[in-house]
Amino acid sequence: MRRRRSRATLAVVFAACWAFVGASIRAQTPKPTEYEVEAAYLSNFGRFITWPVAARSADTFNVCVLGQDPFGPLLDAALRGESIGASPMAPRRITTTAEALGCRIVYINSAKDNQLKAILAGLRNSSVLTVSDAPDFTRQGGMIQFILDANRVRFEINLAAAQRAGLTLSSDLLKVAVTIRRAP
Amino acid sequence: MRFLILFSLLLLAATGKAQQTDPGSEGRLKGLSLEELGNIEVVTTSKSPVKLSQTPAAVYVITQEDIRRAGVTSIPEALRLAPGVDVAQIDGVKWAVGIRGFESRLSRDVLVLIDGRSVYSPLFHGVYWEVQDTLLEDIDRIEVIRGPGGTIWGANAVNGVINIITRNAKDTKGTLVSATGGNLNQGLLDIRQGGGSDNFAYRVYAKGVDQAPEFHADNHQFDDWRHAQAGFRTDWNATDRDKVTVQGDIYDGAAGERANVTILSPPALANVEENARLSGGNVLTRWQRTLKDGSDIQLLAYYDRVNRLQANQAEYRNTFDVDFVHHLLLGKRNDFLWGLEARLSPASLPEIVPSYVFTPNQRIDQVYTAYAQDTFALVENKLSLTAGTKLLHSSFTGWDAEPSVRVLWTPTSRSTLWGAVTRAVRTPSDIEDTLVNTALLSTNPLEFTRIIGDGKFTSETLVGYEIGYRSLIAKSVSLDIATFYNQYDHLLSLEPGVPFVEDDQGTPAMIYPFINGNGVKGSTSGFELALDWKARPWWRLVTSYSFLNTDLRAAPFSEDTTTVFQDDGESPHNQGQIQSYLDLSKTLDLNLTFRYVGALPYYRVSSYETGDARIAWRPIKHWEFALTGQNLLQPHHVEYGGDPGPLVGIRRNVFGSVIFRK
Repeated sequence: MRRRRSRATLAVVFAACWAFVGASIRAQTPKPTEYEVEAAYLSNFGRFITWPVAARSADTFNVCVLGQDPFGPLLDAALRGESIGASPMAPRRITTTAEALGCRIVYINSAKDNQLKAILAGLRNSSVLTVSDAPDFTRQGGMIQFILDANRVRFEINLAAAQRAGLTLSSDLLKVAVTIRRAP
Repeated sequence: MRFLILFSLLLLAATGKAQQTDPGSEGRLKGLSLEELGNIEVVTTSKSPVKLSQTPAAVYVITQEDIRRAGVTSIPEALRLAPGVDVAQIDGVKWAVGIRGFESRLSRDVLVLIDGRSVYSPLFHGVYWEVQDTLLEDIDRIEVIRGPGGTIWGANAVNGVINIITRNAKDTKGTLVSATGGNLNQGLLDIRQGGGSDNFAYRVYAKGVDQAPEFHADNHQFDDWRHAQAGFRTDWNATDRDKVTVQGDIYDGAAGERANVTILSPPALANVEENARLSGGNVLTRWQRTLKDGSDIQLLAYYDRVNRLQANQAEYRNTFDVDFVHHLLLGKRNDFLWGLEARLSPASLPEIVPSYVFTPNQRIDQVYTAYAQDTFALVENKLSLTAGTKLLHSSFTGWDAEPSVRVLWTPTSRSTLWGAVTRAVRTPSDIEDTLVNTALLSTNPLEFTRIIGDGKFTSETLVGYEIGYRSLIAKSVSLDIATFYNQYDHLLSLEPGVPFVEDDQGTPAMIYPFINGNGVKGSTSGFELALDWKARPWWRLVTSYSFLNTDLRAAPFSEDTTTVFQDDGESPHNQGQIQSYLDLSKTLDLNLTFRYVGALPYYRVSSYETGDARIAWRPIKHWEFALTGQNLLQPHHVEYGGDPGPLVGIRRNVFGSVIFRK
């Protein structure tokens, strides 16, 4: 009987502990997810890149997500109220490579990585900045690849691919990149 | 910068916005520079689960963060974090870890690999958990696959596979010192130093454990444990396409144990309490090359040494293993995998007592395998079919095949339905093959039982049927259900032989022989259910429940009368737990766990419920102070049987830790 009671007491203490914890917390500093940081990067890259004149015709600076969208409202929030030059930034969700031609930046979700080659081939003659977190993205011809480095989101740049597309990347951007691939 | 985030969130919280699902945090990274973005620490919520949700198997990943926050001090304890894994502590040294039944100190159906190195013992068909260790901070993740995995992983991956994967040396640069002390963990010291560049990184580590005995009703405190281990790992990006890893570990320890030892002359049963001497080491190298078309190859080779000296047995073993895998993308729709593996394991099993004898006592266990598997996209991104087989040749039983067919259907991006039919085998071990184990039954009249491995025991087989469903039922809630029906045949039985009189020792003695047979068959069925709820950005709840039903019987030709009861009553049939991960503030975490584990009738162990708690505080950069309590709800409770003498109570354990990471 004694044993039972002491067990019950402990269970109550345990439960009280939970209740206390639940009640006493309001303000928190959750760490962002990698996608929140990636979205912030996507809203930033445009400032460090110059597109060829022909590609600048559109009224809006479209940041597109091709395939399954990992960002949800995070991307909309990151782009809200931002503009590059006179063009306001806008998020777009697209499903085909053809639609990507109307984008300045296209983010290709890694869930689609078996189709990566086809997508990159379809964008080869355009001036769209290709970004992804797919492993080996820059190796396969993508331009900017997010990587996780000790729980921090960094990126690699395939400079050769960007130059082939007529994009000019500022030295500030290159300085921050973890690795830069120069050879094709 | 962090302060700004904190401040904006405080503000949002004050206005009540943080009560909504998530939106409080949106856009909070605006205005940060590229450098600042690169320095924000993130939680990687979606990386592995994205891949995970695309796997047609019951897989669960225990992350480094889960391990750290739970405050566990050994790998078996960490395995409690995965749903559907039966983890029981036998005494201060020994653990039993099972999946979907057949749990025992040496669970014969669970294959365990550390960075691709098999730690499943060919001596005794299972894993000696007390010598499987590393710095827990250096573990990247533990992948737990419930269900048969023979097609890829080979022999003995019958009920599950546990893959322990350590971190790349690139991710462990810097210094770690962690010191822990408490009533049971009397001293636990971890030290690691890492460095190098991203192209060539290294780490070296050392650790020591000194653990006090658990609770013994007879006051015989035999199970104290001391263990020291050191190791290293280097990761080298030799070229753009080649990665080379070299790693190794060495350990030495003394593990207190109690053993019943039968002495033949004069006939007696001695209860020996002494230290088992356990030491060993391994060296492993892995070369990975990415080929031009996105295919890749991997070559793995390792050497592993085991020294084990106990009161009644000894094992000195060298294992050499070479493993090659080629992964090809064939066209757009085929993902093809094939591989070859050879393992040679010469062992010396010298006689320590004449009642426990291997004949011959030198042997070379060999396994050769080849496999091929193709994943074919029937409907791109919606429906895929995976089929393959492993062919296996072992020195015990000759050829075996382990084919499987798996189907994965992703009707929406948020849900996955999968099914699988798999055959898997558990190959015999040295114990079942050639051990003759004599045990005293009575002295007057003089009688012995004798368990005989006559070399005829063959592989146990399984055909497993599985269906699973995963779904992101709301933005913050994911559900994982896995059901199984396992059909076993040729399971281990003890077949009584004809009693005879032996007159070796001068006094005639009656011997009751039992021969290792394959006389048990039947099925197990059940399900595991796991719910992961991120209730708030700072609060995560993980709940799981697993159910097991066993329906085994002796085959018509078998005269076994005891094994079925053991197989049925050595694993919990019901098990559930709740884990809460709570960030109280930026510097304060609280973890709470409650678990229920059902009874084990075979060992007369009743069901129990208990809880763990850990609070960690990081007042200044690099430093963490933590207080952990384990098994808090009672002074001690029994989790498993197996040691001679009264059941061992697992005590309440409270310890403090100081951790320095730089």
